[in-house]
Amino acid sequence: MTDLTPRPVDDSGSRPSRRILPLVVLALVVAAGGVILTQFLTSAVDYYCNADEIGQRSGCDEERRLRIQGTVTDGSVAVERGVTSFTIAFNDVTVPVHYEGEPGGIFKECIPVVVHGQFDRGVFRGDRVEVKHSNEYVAVNSDRLTEAEFEGCEPGST
Amino acid sequence: MLGVLAIIATAWLVAFGLGFSPADRDQEESVRILYVHVPTIWVAYVAFILTAVASGTYLFSKKHSLGFDRFAGASAELGVLFVGLTLIVGALWGRLTWGVFWQWDARLTTTALLFVTYIGYLAVRRLGGDPHQRARRSAVMGLLSVLLIPLVHWSVRLWRSLHQDATVLRPDGQVKMDGLMLFSLFVGVVAFSLIYAWLVIHRTRVLWMEDHESEYGLEAAVEQRRAEALETPSSNSTGGKTDG
Repeated sequence: MTDLTPRPVDDSGSRPSRRILPLVVLALVVAAGGVILTQFLTSAVDYYCNADEIGQRSGCDEERRLRIQGTVTDGSVAVERGVTSFTIAFNDVTVPVHYEGEPGGIFKECIPVVVHGQFDRGVFRGDRVEVKHSNEYVAVNSDRLTEAEFEGCEPGST
Repeated sequence: MLGVLAIIATAWLVAFGLGFSPADRDQEESVRILYVHVPTIWVAYVAFILTAVASGTYLFSKKHSLGFDRFAGASAELGVLFVGLTLIVGALWGRLTWGVFWQWDARLTTTALLFVTYIGYLAVRRLGGDPHQRARRSAVMGLLSVLLIPLVHWSVRLWRSLHQDATVLRPDGQVKMDGLMLFSLFVGVVAFSLIYAWLVIHRTRVLWMEDHESEYGLEAAVEQRRAEALETPSSNSTGGKTDG
């Protein structure tokens, strides 16, 4: 008669942790989902107001903190004492912007941006500038005509 | 064979993505991230859709074959991997173009939700129970989770988003992209699709082996123990002293 007695295996602690881990992950997933949905409802929906909607559309009042989208007007960018000044435009409505520092990303004239900040005596004082690049991809130096069209940008084209 | 093709396609992607394709007028060299960012999310979409198809096939077929469940699990794992890659390279791209790594805008938020949902799907698969219990509950979740994909894809049209609108899959059918850039993107899609196909086959096989091991593990252990005991009768007297 052969001995088929199971050998003792030291698995103390391994089984409970194997069962608990997926539950912990699920709890974290639910928590993360809650955070994401909250952020979605408070921030992602209506991410910005267009420049022509300031004071016109609900939620785009000058008195509150805003995110404004517009195209940086050609020739409007100036940097003085660490403050970058420019105007953004959408549907022929322009908004003057002052931003402390130099905007990051691919910021330049004729490019659509979203500026975070608040109005102060008619000037929008931004504390964050995000560049909203388009869904068109054009090879650099591939087409002089396109380049020329780009230089003569039209505000509010997005 | 599939692995070799995947490696060749990846080499092509490196050559076109980093070499032959031109820089973008606005985004300059950072546009090259596009060749990873877009293919990975497209392949992730496909992976999650295939998870849903396999889940539905398991649930509604008469045979209830666990093979479909294992494929669903493997495909979801790779989908999570590819969405994770999309989020990482997207954050890097965002820093270079927008000026920020992350923003709670509609596209980014819904993509994060998709990522977290499928991590939840993978956690549900590991809650325990027999393989058919696992297959049933994860199939239901696989079918429900896939509904997020249209929300992610159309989020840039449903809400105002910092993320740009689609370039290739546009409703008007027009593709506003330089020809060589478009070809490089196509190479990226082929490369990541082959990588997905290669990995999903192997991962499905590993999941089959895991199921097989747990199903037959006890019988195999008894057989192994019996064989050892017959081979070394003298060790019977000290049974239980050696490692199992």
